[in-house]
Amino acid sequence: MREVWWISLIKAAILINLVMAAFAYTTWLERKLLGRFQNRYGPNRAGPFGLLQPIADLLKLIRKESFFPQAAYDVPYILAPIVSTATALAAFAVIPFGAGWTISHHHINGEMANVSIALILLFAFGSIGVYGGIVGGWASESKFSLLGAMRTCAQLVSYEVSLALSVLGVVLMGQSLNLAQIVAKQGQTIWFFIPQFVGLLVFLFAATAETARAPFDLPEADSELVAGYHTEYGGMRWGLFQTAEYINMITLSALAVTLFFAGWHGPYAPLGPLWFFIKLFLMVSFFIWVRASVPRLRYDQLMRFGWKVLLPVATINAVVTALLVVWVK
Amino acid sequence: MILASAGNVLVWAVWMVAAFACLGSGIAVVSFSNPFFSALALIGNLGSLAVLYLLLSAEFVAAAQVLVYAGAVMVMFLFVIAYIGPRQESPWAGGPSWQAVGAVLAAGALMVEIIVVIGLKASGSLAHSAHIGSSFGTPSEIGRLFLTDHLLAFEVTSIVLLVAAIGGVILGAHARREQPSAGP
Repeated sequence: MREVWWISLIKAAILINLVMAAFAYTTWLERKLLGRFQNRYGPNRAGPFGLLQPIADLLKLIRKESFFPQAAYDVPYILAPIVSTATALAAFAVIPFGAGWTISHHHINGEMANVSIALILLFAFGSIGVYGGIVGGWASESKFSLLGAMRTCAQLVSYEVSLALSVLGVVLMGQSLNLAQIVAKQGQTIWFFIPQFVGLLVFLFAATAETARAPFDLPEADSELVAGYHTEYGGMRWGLFQTAEYINMITLSALAVTLFFAGWHGPYAPLGPLWFFIKLFLMVSFFIWVRASVPRLRYDQLMRFGWKVLLPVATINAVVTALLVVWVK
Repeated sequence: MILASAGNVLVWAVWMVAAFACLGSGIAVVSFSNPFFSALALIGNLGSLAVLYLLLSAEFVAAAQVLVYAGAVMVMFLFVIAYIGPRQESPWAGGPSWQAVGAVLAAGALMVEIIVVIGLKASGSLAHSAHIGSSFGTPSEIGRLFLTDHLLAFEVTSIVLLVAAIGGVILGAHARREQPSAGP
């Protein structure tokens, strides 16, 4: 059941553009929802319901002059946002969005890369993507950028551990690191958010911190650090950091849907990818809702919560799940 | 048949790129004067090593290499280097003489190893290709080996890591106790 290479190429091109479009309209959705949460309209000038706003933003960012600080180390300064975006896009390759189809004797997989190490690969891309922020902040040669980079570093390292441990329970129950197999297992048995709701809670906290979104947006806390690691960035280079950040949020939402909400499976009708996108939309909206509702943590609160609450809970959850899985067997 | 040979060319091309990236970044690590760039080159080195692991069908090792070494460990390196800030003088320039002796010995050992491998290859001892099952390098197979054939090594490694972690805490606490007298 192997995919022909040209099908993979076409699928990759479609998927990359879909993810980019999803990113563009996530920014629209976020601004619109934040607007409504705060009793205002949000973007409503460009096109009907402001739907052309992301495109107008893109044109504006591309046409801006791309200046940078004289003291900056130019090679890492330019490469940092590229690394961020490239790894964010690459991580989406392992997310399964369908069961796979056969159209006139050609097999099409339900994901870009069906590999046995899918989950580790996704985290590996995420851990490389972290360097975008750190290197970009360091190479800008500015105090605010450096402080933002340091915060990114400390926060992401702290919460990465909890994030990895929170999905361990799902891996133990699904008996695989292959995301497609985990989804298939949930289709046969039970959606894992019911037995693994502790894991889901830890995952949601850690994912919010990993994507540096409110209330964990300390790496770019605008009232303290101007803009954190991308203070000295402008134009499309800043736009690439923004792209990476939103795509990471979409990817982690998709991972939550895959690991805890059975991916493309759904009740009533076998809609396949449509179920996946509905759940993804709800998950992304949830992250936006959290951003609108919860104020930012203080830095010491963030560290204490990560190491003294989230990590022990995630560890206990993993150990208890392991014992139960062996015991039930 | 044509596709198979195209695949071989692809493997060869990827191997060439990864091998030269490995060598180049290795040289870059020791030749940059700015430690931040050295650390970045080390990340590149670990990354290209991961590609070489992938070519050996060790996919789990490759992903773990990127996740643990290129990801988590090197982030700590960069954090410390960026935190200390740029130093014009490199503190380890010159270095103690035992370091130089050790480096020469290690390089010599590697040299002997390479000569032995090339010799074996030339004499035909490595002519037959290894038989690799489809489960080779998968997480489940590696997990099985860790908990059966290599259990002792696995557990000893975990104890070594635990000792290192405790040692780090003790050293850090020691430094903190001495600080107040020197601080403001």
